[in-house]
Amino acid sequence: MLTRSPDRVALTGAVLALVSALMLPAGTLRPNRLAQGDPHSWLAAGAILAVPMLALLLAVFASFLCSRSLRGHVLSSAGVLLIGGIALSLGALSESLMVDAPSIARVSIGSGTWLMLAGAAIVAFSGWQALMGKESASQGTHVRMVYPLATAAFLFAAVAFGGLDTISLAAEYGIRTAVFWPSVIAHLRLAGVSLVLGLAMGVPLGIIAARDARIRRVALGVTGIIQTIPSLAMLGLLIAPLAALSAAYPVLRQLGIRGIGETPAMIALTLYALLPIVRNTYVGLAEVDPAVVDAGRGMGMSRGQLLWRVEMPLALPLVLEGVRAGAVLLVGITAVTALVGARNLGSFIFEGLGQAAPDLILLGALPIIVLAIVADVGLSFIADAVTPKGVRAA
Amino acid sequence: MIHLDGVTKRYGDTVAVDDLTLDVAEGEVCVLIGPSGCGKTTTLRMINRLITPTSGRIMINGQDASELKAEELRRSLGYAIQSVGLFPHLDVAANIAVVPRLLGWDKPRLRGRARELLELVGLEPEQYMGKYPRQLSGGEAQRIGVARALAADPPVLLMDEPFGAVDPLNRGRLQGEFARIQRDLHKTVVFVTHDIDEAIRLADRIAIMRDGRLVQYDTPETILDNPVDHFVRDFVGSDRALKRLVRVPVRDVMDTAPPVARRSAGAKEMLAEVGRTRFVYLVDEQGRLTGWLDRAQLKGGCTVEDALSDADPAQVAVRPDASLKEALSRMLGLGFRSIAVVESDGRLVGQVTLGSVEGAMTESDEHQGARPAEHMAEYSAEDTSDDSVLESIASDDQGDCT
Repeated sequence: MLTRSPDRVALTGAVLALVSALMLPAGTLRPNRLAQGDPHSWLAAGAILAVPMLALLLAVFASFLCSRSLRGHVLSSAGVLLIGGIALSLGALSESLMVDAPSIARVSIGSGTWLMLAGAAIVAFSGWQALMGKESASQGTHVRMVYPLATAAFLFAAVAFGGLDTISLAAEYGIRTAVFWPSVIAHLRLAGVSLVLGLAMGVPLGIIAARDARIRRVALGVTGIIQTIPSLAMLGLLIAPLAALSAAYPVLRQLGIRGIGETPAMIALTLYALLPIVRNTYVGLAEVDPAVVDAGRGMGMSRGQLLWRVEMPLALPLVLEGVRAGAVLLVGITAVTALVGARNLGSFIFEGLGQAAPDLILLGALPIIVLAIVADVGLSFIADAVTPKGVRAA
Repeated sequence: MIHLDGVTKRYGDTVAVDDLTLDVAEGEVCVLIGPSGCGKTTTLRMINRLITPTSGRIMINGQDASELKAEELRRSLGYAIQSVGLFPHLDVAANIAVVPRLLGWDKPRLRGRARELLELVGLEPEQYMGKYPRQLSGGEAQRIGVARALAADPPVLLMDEPFGAVDPLNRGRLQGEFARIQRDLHKTVVFVTHDIDEAIRLADRIAIMRDGRLVQYDTPETILDNPVDHFVRDFVGSDRALKRLVRVPVRDVMDTAPPVARRSAGAKEMLAEVGRTRFVYLVDEQGRLTGWLDRAQLKGGCTVEDALSDADPAQVAVRPDASLKEALSRMLGLGFRSIAVVESDGRLVGQVTLGSVEGAMTESDEHQGARPAEHMAEYSAEDTSDDSVLESIASDDQGDCT
């Protein structure tokens, strides 16, 4: 008997996964990397998927009977198992299709696979959320970390042993191994340096904004307007003045400042990072209890002591929240800067668009998504870790 | 020690403090009081230069405050405020040690000082050192606010309604503890409040302010007996006789030999004792109050066990630090003619009777202006006769236990 209300989110994910497995293609066999091809359904992929699929469905329904924390583990395991199963099945499907095909042929990932992965991720995530709930918070982070690690292990296994290395995406990677990793690093470096520059300017600006209402209006207004400028327009706007500058002053050219390339990219990205950082620094400082500030001043703290020993530690969680938002934003916008000649993961996307090669687009887009998620999770983790114990939510 | 000379503070056209001249002698508690907007808090904040006077001079210990560096001046003046303002990200020990840390004390000395001060304000150091402000009750936070103000042992304390944010019961207790601490430490204190009872209880001198001006600056006794004008008379209120009781700590008038029996001694001893005095307090082996036994309730063939009443000391007793007014209002509230006095650990140390309250009121009337406490001591020594027997007014109506 269903004594507890079903988890609607998990149920939605399971239904999505099931429907897309039945109705949509698992993969497409194409004569070459650009041509259209024939869709192949999951039914052709054989029995490998049937096991995790069945396990998933049983788990989702069984979870409705479980206690909250147990439900979290059941759903997380089911989601992870399904992701692993899909990866392995896709590898097997790809391998079997490629056996009879010429070496120039490609197996692209089909819409059914993407939606199944999405469904599985939803199930896993709903379970993960249940584990984050208050009752099971005592179990700590360690238990919960099993699931992302298991997912990574499954994907690795599918690539290394499961034939996933035969799909088109892997082939695109194989062709560009030499530029892929440098592109990842360039992407991270550009976003990272811009974020640090944004931080170096944004935090002081936020501090001044908290002290002076006039500067606050200007700072928040200007950074807000910057945020509304589309990234492409911003890059375009920067080309002309930077080119003129470097033409007028050769010393700037020697320093690498030109109308295209990394310079306009870095300037644009730094400007985009400002709003979340300035705003959160200001809000964090403004929210410090005035009584705390009065007590600090009355006890003889100087402005600087008050700021660095009291106000900033109390504002830190919000400042880092701004940094997190900025980091996720920059990882995405960095891709666009490939258009003005800053070589990074975005370059694959634009090359793929130019060649009408969807799997090359994916080669750029997927790592960007992964980087954004890693930045998001990593910075939330850091924010939690540095939040003073006394102000952490109970 | 603190000397304000013609101090004025203007905000545009409004005058917050108007030509105020005031002397606070060393070791005295000066309470600034008045209706809201009278300038009392502004005055306090001008002393540690959180507000700069428009004109006039403030001398602290012979030195012109405006000539010192503001931060250094403030570190030498303890500061406690109504909203406490503990630093949420620091634990209690670190909160107490803020000023000593600014002064560059070393770590072991900081910890030792925090421990010392927690004990002084009546909080168990081991239990509280590592707590964070959000884990504290309002009363605990205010205690720690006071401990923090005392941390660097400043000669002067500035307190802006430091007990204003707690319930009346806790406020009374904090006032009692403050009076006790002040008796030992003899700080020069400037204390802002809007509670006239608090002012009368704690002040050596009360400065009554109105519209930025000083209306009367006198001892509480003088203010009660000779208010300079209608404003002061109205401000003090009509129950001036009762207010005098606020000045008298229970400790000074209590009967230190109340009728008492050990609970463990058994019915026989309790009966013997109650036969002699009609009423006994019952204590445990450690001398802690656990209940009482009233002869009136033994009527109608009740056993001792039926007749004795259990006591929750928090409800039916007062502390030696409490004021006589508090003791009286407790007695009236409970319908008793006497009330037990217990230490913070629950030990019974005495009792206060309606008779001794009455005596205290007449005594202080006869000796206007004198410290009532000294006379009370004599009085209570004489007054350990039969009328100190406690009768429960309420118990007269419930003579049997059917």
